[in-house]
Parts: sequence; C-alpha cells; structure tokens
Amino acid sequence: MRGVTLYFLLFLFFAVSCKKTSRPNNENEHEAINKVEFVFYQNGNLYRKFILEDPDGDGGAPPTRIDSIILQRASNYTAELFIKNISGGVEKDITALIRQQGTSHEFFYIPSGVNVTITKNDKDANNFPLGLNTTWTTGPAGQGSLLLKLMHKTGIKGPNDSPDKGHADIQINIPLKIL
Amino acid sequence: MNLCCIFYKFVYLGLLVRPMFLIKIKRSGLMVWIIFVSVFTLSGTITAFAQTCRLTLSGSVSDADTKSPLADAYVELIELKKTTVTDEEGHYHFYNLCPGNYTLKITHVDCEPVEIKVRLVNDAVRNVVLPHRYYEMEKVIISGKKDEFRNLLKEQLENKSVEQTRGLSLGEVLKKINGVTVLQTGSTIFKPVIHGLHGQRLILLNNGVRVEGQQWGQEHAPEIDPYLAEKFTVIKGAGALKYGSDAIGGAIFVDSRTLSPAPGWKHEVNIGYLHNNRQYILSALTEHRSAHVPALGFRLQGTLKYGGNTRTPDYWLYNTGLRELNYSATLEYRKPRFRSEFFLSAFNTQLGLFTGAHIGNLTDLENAIRSPKPIQNIDRFDYSIGRPKQKVNHYLFKSYSEILFSTRKKMSLLLSHQENFRKEFDRALITDRPELDLNIGTSQLHISYEYNRPNLQWMTGLNISHQQNVWDGSRFFIPNFITWNLGAYGILKKQLKNLTLESGIRYDFRDLKTFRNQNNVITETYRKFHNLSTSAVAALRISQCWKSVFNFSLAWRPPHVNELYVNGLHHGTASFEIGDPGLRSERAYKTGLQLKYETDSNWNVDVTLYHDYIVNFINLVPSTPPTLTLRGAYPTFRYIQTRAGLSGADLRFSYWLHQQITVAAKGAFLFARDLNAKDWLMQMPPHRVEGEISYLFKEKKLKNTTISLLTQYVFRQRYIPRRYDDYLPPPADYILLSLEFATELQIFKKNFNFGLSMYNLLNRRYRDYMNRFRYFHDETGRNAVLRLKIPL
Repeated sequence: MRGVTLYFLLFLFFAVSCKKTSRPNNENEHEAINKVEFVFYQNGNLYRKFILEDPDGDGGAPPTRIDSIILQRASNYTAELFIKNISGGVEKDITALIRQQGTSHEFFYIPSGVNVTITKNDKDANNFPLGLNTTWTTGPAGQGSLLLKLMHKTGIKGPNDSPDKGHADIQINIPLKIL
Repeated sequence: MNLCCIFYKFVYLGLLVRPMFLIKIKRSGLMVWIIFVSVFTLSGTITAFAQTCRLTLSGSVSDADTKSPLADAYVELIELKKTTVTDEEGHYHFYNLCPGNYTLKITHVDCEPVEIKVRLVNDAVRNVVLPHRYYEMEKVIISGKKDEFRNLLKEQLENKSVEQTRGLSLGEVLKKINGVTVLQTGSTIFKPVIHGLHGQRLILLNNGVRVEGQQWGQEHAPEIDPYLAEKFTVIKGAGALKYGSDAIGGAIFVDSRTLSPAPGWKHEVNIGYLHNNRQYILSALTEHRSAHVPALGFRLQGTLKYGGNTRTPDYWLYNTGLRELNYSATLEYRKPRFRSEFFLSAFNTQLGLFTGAHIGNLTDLENAIRSPKPIQNIDRFDYSIGRPKQKVNHYLFKSYSEILFSTRKKMSLLLSHQENFRKEFDRALITDRPELDLNIGTSQLHISYEYNRPNLQWMTGLNISHQQNVWDGSRFFIPNFITWNLGAYGILKKQLKNLTLESGIRYDFRDLKTFRNQNNVITETYRKFHNLSTSAVAALRISQCWKSVFNFSLAWRPPHVNELYVNGLHHGTASFEIGDPGLRSERAYKTGLQLKYETDSNWNVDVTLYHDYIVNFINLVPSTPPTLTLRGAYPTFRYIQTRAGLSGADLRFSYWLHQQITVAAKGAFLFARDLNAKDWLMQMPPHRVEGEISYLFKEKKLKNTTISLLTQYVFRQRYIPRRYDDYLPPPADYILLSLEFATELQIFKKNFNFGLSMYNLLNRRYRDYMNRFRYFHDETGRNAVLRLKIPL
C-alpha cells in the first residue's frame, strides 16, 4: 500500500507542472503579411496611396479592404510598395526585411485587360530583379486587374524567372482602372 | 493440396463478392495474381520431392519446480536452424525432418538453457523439463515477458525479421507486418496505418508506456527509436483494453529485450549505411549485471543517424536530410517476488521537408502538379537541413514495479511522464521563429492486479492520466488544453479444453479543458466524455493444425483537440483546417476472425478477416469556398462525422518447399466506405500483394546465410470518393523488387552479423497514393542498406 501511495504522490508531482497552459498566447498576434500599401509618385510628387488589408490574417474573414488602383492614361508613375503586419492592432513594417532577404524574393506585377507597362527598378544583392520600386507607364483608358505576386524562392532565384517559380507569400488580384 | 483449394476458394470468393475488382485489374496486376497463384500450384507439385523427409519431432516443455507447462520457450533445432516457440500448453513441433541426429536447444527467459541430443528414426516425442536459473530456492518466480496478447488478432515481428529492418524508421519497420501500411510525408516521415486507421486511432506503447506526442498530425511520425526494440507486436483491432479504449484502429507494442539474468558485461554495436541518402547509423548498447548483487542490472543504449538528400530515380530531393540522436537507460532490480524497472529514453530528431512541396497557395499547388519534375528543386546532394523542417524532442521516464503476493496474486504499478517538444518551421517568411511550437506533457499512472488460477485468470486495473499542451510559435493551430483521463477495467479469462474465452469491460472518463486567447480575451471551454468499452475473445484450437481466434469489441474515442478546435493553415499542405467544437465520440464495433493453419507439410497459413463499423467517424473533408487571403486562395477542409464501414482481409501463406527454400506470399485488402454518403473514404491504403522466395545456404562456411527475393505489387487505389475532386488522381499501380541478404561472419571468434538489403532494386519510378507529397515528386529510387552487428 505504501508503494501505491508513493506512486500516486509521484504522479501528482509530475502532473502538477509549471506550464502556462491557462495563459495562452494571443491567437491573433501572428507573423504574417496582412497589409500591402502602394504609394504612387508622379514627377516626384505623391500621387495616391492604395491599400490592401486582411487584419485577421490568413483564414477567418476574407480581406477587408482592397482598393482599386486608379491611374491617369498616358502617364508615367513611380510606385513604392510597403509590406506590413497589422496583427493584434500594431502596425509593423516588414518591407526592409524583405529587401534584406532580396535574394530569396521577387515581386511580379501581371496586368490583364488594361494597357500598362510595369518595370522593376531595384535589384537584390546578386543583381537580380526585386520589384519593390517600379515604374508604370499607362496606355489608353481601360478597366482590368493587376495580379500582384511576391514569390519566395530561396536558393533557386534566377535573373529571368517565371512568376510561377517558388511559392507565393503574396498573391492577390487588384482591380485596376486607367481613366 | 487441400490448401491450394482453400486458397483458390478465397480468390473465387473475392471474385463473387466484388466482380468488378478483378476485371478492373490492369494487365500488370493480373500478372501478379498469376504469379501469386502459381507459386501455390507449384509448391503443391514440389511436395512430392520431399516425401522421404517426413518425420515429426514434438514434445512439451515444463518448469522443473512448478511442473507447469512453459509457454514462449524457444526451441531450436540447431542443425537445421529451425526455431519454434512453445504454445500456451508448452507444446512444440518440428515437421518434415529427415532421419538423423539432431540437437535440440530449449531456452526460456527464466530458466537455464537445456540441450538434448535426439536420434530420429521415426516420429518422436521429447518432453523437456527446464530447471530454474537463480531461483532454485524459491517455489515461485516472477514470470518473464509472457505473451499477454496470445488471444488477440495480432502479428509480430521478431528475431531475424527485426534484424532485417535495422536502419529503417519505425513506420517502415512496421510496414513489414501484413495489414500495416504507412502514411508518408515525403521521404522522411512515416506514420503507421493499421487497416486504414492511423494517428489518434492507434496507440503506440514503448516498453509498456503509451507514447503521447502530437500524434494527431498526418505528418507527425512516432517518436520511437526502433533500435531499442527486439520485438514489434501489432494488435489489429481493439482488444488491448488494459491500455486504453481509444485505440479503435489497433495498438503497436515496441518492446526491448529483457535484461540478461547472467552476471557480467554485454556489449553490442550496430553500424548501418543507407546508400540512397548517404545516411550513416551508429547504434550501441551495453548491459551489465553485477556478480555480487545479481538482482541489479542495467543497460545503456544510444543511436545516431545522419543522412542527406534522398534521390528518386531521376533527381535529388532538396532538403530531405535527417539527424537523429536517441538514447535510453534501463535499471532493473529483480528478486524472485519483486521486480522494479526504471527506464529513461530520449528521442531527438531534425527532419528536412522537401522544399518543392512547400507551396504557398492553390495556384502554386496547381503549378507544381503540372510540372513533371519538381520546379522548386535544387537537384544536388547535400547534408544540410534548412526550412521547411521539423525538430522533435521526446523524453520519457518510466518506473515499473511488480510484486508477487503468492503464486496466484500479482500487483503491478506503472508510473510514467513524457515531455514532447515539436517545432515546425515553414519556409522562411519573416522571422526565424518556428511557425508551430508545441509542448505536451503527459503523466500516467497504471495500477493493476492479477489473479491466476490454472484455468481462470482475472485482472483489474486503474489508469489515471493527465495531459497538458501549450502552444507557441508564430501561428495558431491548436489551443492550449488540459485533459484528465480516468479509466477502470476488468478482464476475465477462462480456459476450457480447446477453447479460451476472454472478456473485458472498461469505463473511461475524460475531462477536457481548453484555453484560448483571442485579442487578449481569454476563454475556457470544458468538454466531458463518459464511455464504456467491452471486448470478447474466443480462441479455439480446432485441431492440431487449426487455430482460430474470434474477436468482437466495442471501442470509443473522444474527439481530439485538433478535430474540435483547429483553425489554421496546415504546415506544408497548403490547406486550411477547420475543427468542429460539437463533435462527439467515435464509437467502433469491431469484429475480427483470425485463422491459423500449420500442417505437417510445413504449410503456414494466417488469414485475418475483419469488419469495423464506426459511428461518428471523424473525417476531414474538403469544403467550399476556398479560404481567401492576401497570400492567395487555399483549399479548405472541415471535420465532419459520418458512419464508416471498413472491411478487409490480411492473408499470409508460407511454405517450406525444401530444406533450403521457403516461399511465402502475403496480401492485404481493404474496402473503406463512408456509409452516410454512400461513397468511399479518402486516403485509404490500396490493396497490395507480396511474394517472397528465400534460400538458406547449407555450406558450413556460410553460417546462417540466407538470400531472399521479394516482390511487392501495390494496386492503383480505385476506391476514392466521387464527391470530392483530388488535385491529382491516385497514382498508377506498381511492382517493386527487393533483395535481402544476411550472413554470419566469424571474426576474432565473435559472430558478426552482416546484412545487405536492396530496396527498389530496379530503380523504378513510381508514386504512392499514401504519400502526401505524391503531387510533387517520385518515390525514393534504389536504396542499398548495409548493416553490421558486432557483439563485443
């Protein structure tokens, strides 16, 4: 009987641990890309900002805000892209981090239904295209969409990759209007 | 000859039951059936050649002190290298012997080995009495590891078969057992599947302790070092009531060798090399029993594995290396009436996951599937492991004591604690933190009391377990939880003349408390489950050759936390999983029949037929619409409940064709239905058949040398749900050839065991339906495994 008591006491000793089970982490505070900001400049002056947001991150509710990109016909723009994490109500800019990991990343801008030419101005450490800074040249007025992709491709990035190579960290269709 | 008829009857029965089944088989499939069937026809005709050697040697083994029959004694016919194990009544048989002089060696865990000379002219009976080793003074002993599963539907892997699997992971080892398949994730993760059921529906026992990790995950392999084990037992179907009722799919027992009762040191070193991924394995153990204090013995054991990328026939798979470091310590104190054992083990692994299978979203998946060769691959060999990867550490402590009050009454106490740490790293996204970081701690206490009379045994016991899970990491997947489980059982066993009856009942209570934090609002949820399980077994020895076991059981399994509350993106599968907090316990009605036949023509037949009817079967099914995110669209899966019907058969035949040649064939068939939807269930193992021919060398120089050629044919899975579209239809059927060679070398007067296995001998390109990475890459190409066992 003494043995049984001893085992039982040892069991309780094991079972009562110091794990913080009753104080869980915040499920909504996760590392993710859930805000994308386009800042367009025309002749060095700020033109407009366009924002895409999914505050609760992957899953749950679908993205809450997808602005249409509206540009003027036959114009030239420079666009700067900002990538952010707004989980848990705090905004964290992770653009610099992506630039730092440039050899693993590449942005792709694939317009459809409208006439616009987008060229990437920036390069990564290996001198391969990155795509955080772009030049946009619009054609005649029209309405279509833009597929924005951030492809992640550690170790396999080349100078002329197809937009399908790697796996997508961002993939979203944005309405695009040329007035 | 009769047996051939029985076999053909099975084939015809199969034809009647499922006419579509054979007709649909492609030509290659038909070929295998022809081979399968012709092996038996052939073996029937060859019987005629062995007519002169048809003598039988049989007898019984009993205990010198108690005069009771000794079950599980090893009986070896040294000259022929034939071994057998005594049955419950202590009987042994050797058939088809030629006249001559033989040496019989009988060993039993608690007794001194005995060798006797036998001159065989006619059929002979030799009864052997074994004296006790250390306990001559005592009238009673603590029995060794007796086979408590004798009356269950089971299959075991031991001795030579275990040696042949050294170097493989636990899942791959268990695949050798008929009816067991694996759910694979790439080339590194193997999860055992018994009769189509896996994960939370199976229990795995490491030296008597239920292994508790994060076994719910499809890509979570069991945390056990196979080098630790001497014997693997698979209980097909429920019945291991003592260990828990939630094992509705079955139970797997991994047992290490009992410490040698002889005083002195014993060392063993195992070296292995897998050529495909250039993997090195070193495993060593040392054992000691003091001459001064013979009651005390210990064992230390450790295994190290270091492997790189796997190669398919055409390309390397980048980031598929692995590292493993496992160690264990056993301390035993053994007295005639008391035995106590402490066991400590650690399992540490780091596994790379194929980079090309780690996709972002649905579009990436479609692109990956369209490409005949993985697009995101770096086609070269490398030992390095980067993201995506898994890092798992599992620590287990056990204290087990048993005490014999009298010859008939025994009590045992088992206390254990386990800590499991699992970190899963997705492809690099933002920081270096693991996406999933889970820590689960489990404490278990098991008290049991046994009463034995010659023809009647009963056992009763109490289980208490406590489990605590905490999540960390950069992504939520399953919540924190605490479970208490209380179980009480009683098992009664009665032996009649040729019939053994066993029945058991078990009550379980589970209390589940979950904790969630959504934007700093903490919510607690409680769920309580009460359940009653029963099992009944009848084992009948029909005749000298026929033995049958019939098993019926009612088992239940409460839904696991992941099925209830999961909500998130699943690592590496590019899918969203959504749980249902309203799920109820699964309830399984399981029926099984095992028939064993051993005849004087050296036939060995084992047929297992089973049917499981599962109410509230929890099933993960695709649901629309896909989940939309800034990272693209993801397919979504939800847990639903349905009624499932799983029926199938495991068949095994072997025939001692000639003194040196054995032929064997196996087949495992499963039909898994979703009865509510009147459709098939997803991700169930397709039918498979296997054939084997082994040759035992007789030359004196080639001691214990065998060479075997094995062929395995896996059917294309045709029984897939019509309701859901898979991204890719099930892959084609395939045939694999493999070769096993084993020999014993005498170096410095020591017996070195050398083995060579060649898997996928023809370097065949194929994909398997049960591999979750079948969308991305081919299976492993040719793989030669070298192994050397050095006793020191």
